[in-house]
Amino acid sequence: MTKNQTAIEVNSLVKKYCNLTAVDSISFNVKKGEIFAFLGPNGAGKTTTVEILECIRKPTSGKAVVLGFDILKDEEEIKKRIGVLPQDFNTFARLTVKENIEYFAGMFGSSVDADSLIKLVDLEDKRNEQYRKLSGGLKQRLGVAIALVNDPEILFLDEPTAGLDPKARHEVWDAILGLKQKGKTIFLTTHYMEEAEILADTVTIIHKGKIVADGTPQKLIERHGKLSLLILKKTDKAAIPLIETLGLTAQYDKETRDVKVTLNHANSISEVVRALCTKQIDFGELQLKKSTLEDVFLNLTGEKLKEEEAS
Amino acid sequence: MNRTLIDLKASFKMFYRSRTALFWTFAFPCIMIVLFGAIFSGSSTKYDLYIQNQDMVNGNLTALSKGFVDALNLTGAFNIYDLDRTVNATRYAIDHKLSYMIVIPLGFQNNTQQALFPGSALNSTIPFIYDQSQTSAIVVMGIVNGVVNKMNQAYAQQGVLHDYVVVKGETIAPKRLSFMDFFIPGVLGMTAMTSSIFAAVEISGRYRETGIFHKLATTPLKRIEWIFSRTIYQIVICFIGMALIIGIGIAFFNIKVIPDPLSLILVATTSMTFSGFGMILSRFVKDPEAAGAAANAITFPMMFLSGTFIPLEQMPEFLRAIATVLPLTYVNNGLRATMILGETQQAIANVIIIAVLGVTLLLVGAWITKWEEE
Repeated sequence: MTKNQTAIEVNSLVKKYCNLTAVDSISFNVKKGEIFAFLGPNGAGKTTTVEILECIRKPTSGKAVVLGFDILKDEEEIKKRIGVLPQDFNTFARLTVKENIEYFAGMFGSSVDADSLIKLVDLEDKRNEQYRKLSGGLKQRLGVAIALVNDPEILFLDEPTAGLDPKARHEVWDAILGLKQKGKTIFLTTHYMEEAEILADTVTIIHKGKIVADGTPQKLIERHGKLSLLILKKTDKAAIPLIETLGLTAQYDKETRDVKVTLNHANSISEVVRALCTKQIDFGELQLKKSTLEDVFLNLTGEKLKEEEAS
Repeated sequence: MNRTLIDLKASFKMFYRSRTALFWTFAFPCIMIVLFGAIFSGSSTKYDLYIQNQDMVNGNLTALSKGFVDALNLTGAFNIYDLDRTVNATRYAIDHKLSYMIVIPLGFQNNTQQALFPGSALNSTIPFIYDQSQTSAIVVMGIVNGVVNKMNQAYAQQGVLHDYVVVKGETIAPKRLSFMDFFIPGVLGMTAMTSSIFAAVEISGRYRETGIFHKLATTPLKRIEWIFSRTIYQIVICFIGMALIIGIGIAFFNIKVIPDPLSLILVATTSMTFSGFGMILSRFVKDPEAAGAAANAITFPMMFLSGTFIPLEQMPEFLRAIATVLPLTYVNNGLRATMILGETQQAIANVIIIAVLGVTLLLVGAWITKWEEE
């Protein structure tokens, strides 16, 4: 990767709060024009990292360069060139959509056309509505529009869909994909694996302040995910020893009477089905569950990524 | 500077759209003035009137003086009290904070009879001792004059129309302040204090809690630019409040208070003092509701202990000692000194105290207000 293709370079970044190490010597690069997802559970160090890159926190040690500017020396230059949608975004409740955009544009000395941003995030009907009267999804879309007032090269979106209902979440995803098409580099922090899978070109997984894996979502799943799971609904327990003779592991769920088989190669499904038919063991329907980033995270850390499931 | 102006414009817009803020900042002090004014500036329909009747002949009150007192009584406007003939009437009025009283002098009947002689240019006078700063005194004097005019008209039927009896006003010296003259500067100080401290606590707490500080921190807006904008905004709000309060005072209570440069400086520095105080408070009490309660706990007793409602001279000594360490005491003293008493030296001394305090607290507040917690 050449220098001019790199939007962000992070080297051995550390942030400590008293005895707590929130970010523990992490290094990674973000390419220009990509959607980079920083994935991890709450408290993993995502927000601390992103706030260091946004120049609103100082690292304890390490180096980070954003668009060629050092975060410790060139704060003003960086702030001019980035857009930020903070976690739990909020703005002035009694200003309208348009007035809020104009306020922040004024802060950057930007002459951006507020109406074009309103159109971009599809808030034309709400142009003169006060912020406090908007729904959660519309508020986040306004947040995205505000993050764009200075026509930034990089957009930092910190948990942009946290707490939103499925419809609002999809609206925000559409807005983010639209921005990628416009050539923006997007640094997305999220604890929703589905969000990372759908949106990201590159995923970096952070856990307890350390980076545990990175790559494209597909490569991460291939490298660290469990193999696919075959679920045989309402199946006799006698299937377990039979399946094990095929060199596969299987578990029996007493409550559901399901047999869960971990597959290890492409032909495993046909082998299992053939063996069951041969021994005349009945089974209900077959379900195939693909491995996800959730499984990757579970595999790497032994912990679940989140309690709440994204839709 | 441009960013400060943008923030200032947005702040006024948001203030204008918040009915609650408008009510508590402007309407509440005005309502309080009207209510207190109605209670304390003697707007009841019956007036307490002290009369010292000195007109005696052979140890008995004269018929005319008794008739005059009866005539006053018949108007139904007064609760009449008889004042001992041996006391000095003016001294008594000052000591007992009476706004007005009548003295019927010795020889009143005799002088009136002489005035009634055809061709006489004499008249008989009734001293009306009053405090010119009290609107009620003017009203009472008008009623007394009405009774005297009726008397003169009755006498005129016997001869030529002439002022046989005259009410002669004698102002009480030294001049004593009316309740409203005393009260209005107190309300100005109180309003500047409460609106500034609560705005600082509320904005700092809310912006921190809702993440607006976080968002502002990602823009080129500097903290000092924002604090400068907030300070100017709050001072302007205090000036608007001041204009409204004085306007109400003039319109309803005939106060003679005109804001002068010293009072404007004092209101501005009061706003700075309590804005800084609010910033410091919200830095240490992070929960906005708790910070609001703490601001209440500080400002509420201060209102009563700093001479806003009751003159410090009327308070017990230990409370007066407490008042000397309360900033609002100096605000109230300074505003009264410059707006009511015209004591410039005293006003300047108070302005200096509040200005030093204001600049110090605002700088400390600005210094410790963080947009991001570490």
